[in-house]
Amino acid sequence: MSSRMSFQLKALFLIPALVTCLLLGTLTGCGIDGREPAAGTSEPERLASYVIADPNGDWGFPSPFSHYQRGPGYIRMSLIFETLIWKDAADFVPALAGSWDYDASANAYRFELRDDVTWHDGRPFTADDVVFTFQYLKAHPYPFADTDVVESVTADGNVLTITLSRPYAPFLETVAGTVPILPRHVWHDVADPEGFRTPEAAVGTGPFKYGDYNKEQGTYLYPANPDYYGGEVLVRELRFVKVTEEMTAAALRNGQVQAGSITPEMAAGLEESGFTVITSPYYWNAKLMINHQREPLAQKEVRRALAYAVDRREIVELAQRGHALAGSSGLIPPDSEWFAPQAHQYPYDPARAAALLEGSGYRKEGAFYARDGKTLELELIYSGGGAGSTNFTRDAELLKQQLERTGIKVNLRSMEAKTVDDRVLNWNFDLAVSGHGGLGGDPLQLNRAIIGAGFNSARYEADEELSAVLNQQLLTMDKQERLALVQEAQALYVAEVPALTLYYPNRYFAHDGRIDLYYTRGGVALGVPVAINRMAFVR
Amino acid sequence: MRGKLINYLIALLIILTLNFLLPRLMPGDPLQAIHGGEMLVELTPEREAELLRRYALDQPLPRQFANYLGRLAGGDLGRSYYYAVPVSEVIRGALPWTLLLAGSALVLSSVAGILLGIEAGWRRDRPADRALVGLTGLLNGFPDFLIGALLLVVFGAGLAWFPVSGALTPYAGLAGPALAADVARHLALPLTALTLANLAGMFLLTRGAMLGTIRERYVLTARAKGLRDRTIRYRHAGRAAMSPVAARLGVRVGRLMVGLLFIETIFAYPGVGHMLHQALTMRDYPLLQGFFLVIAVTVLAANLLADIIQHRIDPRSGHAY
Repeated sequence: MSSRMSFQLKALFLIPALVTCLLLGTLTGCGIDGREPAAGTSEPERLASYVIADPNGDWGFPSPFSHYQRGPGYIRMSLIFETLIWKDAADFVPALAGSWDYDASANAYRFELRDDVTWHDGRPFTADDVVFTFQYLKAHPYPFADTDVVESVTADGNVLTITLSRPYAPFLETVAGTVPILPRHVWHDVADPEGFRTPEAAVGTGPFKYGDYNKEQGTYLYPANPDYYGGEVLVRELRFVKVTEEMTAAALRNGQVQAGSITPEMAAGLEESGFTVITSPYYWNAKLMINHQREPLAQKEVRRALAYAVDRREIVELAQRGHALAGSSGLIPPDSEWFAPQAHQYPYDPARAAALLEGSGYRKEGAFYARDGKTLELELIYSGGGAGSTNFTRDAELLKQQLERTGIKVNLRSMEAKTVDDRVLNWNFDLAVSGHGGLGGDPLQLNRAIIGAGFNSARYEADEELSAVLNQQLLTMDKQERLALVQEAQALYVAEVPALTLYYPNRYFAHDGRIDLYYTRGGVALGVPVAINRMAFVR
Repeated sequence: MRGKLINYLIALLIILTLNFLLPRLMPGDPLQAIHGGEMLVELTPEREAELLRRYALDQPLPRQFANYLGRLAGGDLGRSYYYAVPVSEVIRGALPWTLLLAGSALVLSSVAGILLGIEAGWRRDRPADRALVGLTGLLNGFPDFLIGALLLVVFGAGLAWFPVSGALTPYAGLAGPALAADVARHLALPLTALTLANLAGMFLLTRGAMLGTIRERYVLTARAKGLRDRTIRYRHAGRAAMSPVAARLGVRVGRLMVGLLFIETIFAYPGVGHMLHQALTMRDYPLLQGFFLVIAVTVLAANLLADIIQHRIDPRSGHAY
């Protein structure tokens, strides 16, 4: 009896062990499809492989309709699919179109398409593919590129004409430089583009071809396109692997990866070890969202008092440990060509804050201001972090201290990030610390952040002049005139304080120096803030 | 036993209902969570309406629930909002890695915990016992992620003995034993972390049960018969101590799942934990339902298994019902 029991007990542990072994067998069978490592490189100048680390790994199948609706998903796709024009670190550069110009009288852009481009499957690229792409996007909208403004697309030989329904200043960046051109012969009968995920769905014209995508491991493999019209591709194989940001420095040092974004603390050490560390332009801002729809923050004077009571430099020094730039009140960061240097900055000034509050009928009762017997008391909601969302705890705690120093009582409430977004969207808050990117791209982003409908927008429409200027800048095709309008909009925004930019965090990207990776002007395509531009891999 | 099965079925039904309701009771909605956060992409009202239709979120809740149950009966778990692929496909991809990591950790922590527990209980208050109790007490106080982070920093980043992320070296062209070795190398640190994190509970439980059984008369009888020490320890006292240990299996699987989430995140290890977290932040209802269902069924199955094992070890336990 007892020996049987002992056997049963052993069996109990053996079964899961066996299952585990079996599973190991299955996994090895269904894991990553085995590829021969690059054998003896005959071309010494081309790198056999280049591996980029990404903390999230999986950004979807790299085809326009199946990558996830996030910037890095667009990047995965943009290595394979190309646009009419593109951007490098400085300006627009030719891509499928060798040259382009704008005809103001017809409100049309003319693109001269290259005639030496072939699709990855060997078929020639023609103007017909571009005409088809714009037709296809009317039926199947591509979220990254709003083509509403396109009235017609016609081709005459290699000359493509895109006529717009109204003047639209962001066109080159957000349409011509963002819409991935699809091969007609592949897509013409695809009715469900999201579900189209065969290797055929990843036939493009770019410097890289589709090799493999593994959702579970979060890995991508792109072999170089040897027939690329734009020049020689510097690596034979490009890979993306999943590595947490905390471990990227270790992975760089032990040669597991050649590039990746790193935490600010690691920048100096990696530079000393001979890695190239590049600093991102300020694309992202942490923002104090203000509920201007309900009292007392519906009053402009109280909002302005709030702005004077916040010490953004102290937040940078203490909460961000110096790894950020203090926010500019006009939202657009100082390193942007659209920045308004003359806009008012609300320097930290508790005395002016106090004067503004007293001017609005508040009197100090004890430590805090009060009006009609009611203490000036605001609830500040913020996210305490968690993988994938920013932790604003230190910012929020410091904000509370600063505001209470002036006499505004603050109650902190930490909640999950998406709950904060939801409450902001439904105006169910007083103050919230939140943040968003997109600051590098076309000033269209200013409209989205001020009068747009999303939860990242201040959604401030009380100032009709501000709304009018914002709408006008989109229609202004002359760059200097447009700049003046964008700067005017920032000045008006600053005067209203519908939200307050707290800081722009420093972000770093490290690489081993063999490929000269750079940040694209205004972000890749419509403004993706990533240091991976396909043209960095082409000579 | 049949009564018990009915209990399990009722539990499953309640779980299905909760699985459906809980994600929808969370503040926030999937449209905003998935499509609202990216400033570069505008969620226009037309697109919002189109997505609501596609996700069938424009229908009343009871209709949504009926549809869910109907499809579930046909084996269809629905389509993930964020990944835009069938939920079953997402789960099928993640589950094997989770089973590998969590299954191995469960086995290792159980075997080690039980063996050490029996030995420590047998040597109550002797130095070996005190040392083990002290050590496991310390381990028990550590949060799971801290053990993982320490191992990662020391053996991954510092000494570089083990890879710092992932479950295998991607695109290395490995196959057969070389691939198995690669998978094992990647598994080592997360598995050690998860095993250590779950060892203490099993150890303390076994040791406690041992302390009860070594005083039993049958142990005295076994001694009187002149049986060897080891035989008494494992076949008599140890076996009897297994009953409460087996009964806790279901609870332990649940706890393991929580630890798994942290360990997977720290080691960038593929699996259910990471996907579940993603599904939560994206308010991806169908995917959440799918994962909750898998986890609930696993815990229920573990409980059922525990009941069966317990019944085998101690046939009296079944009569309590």
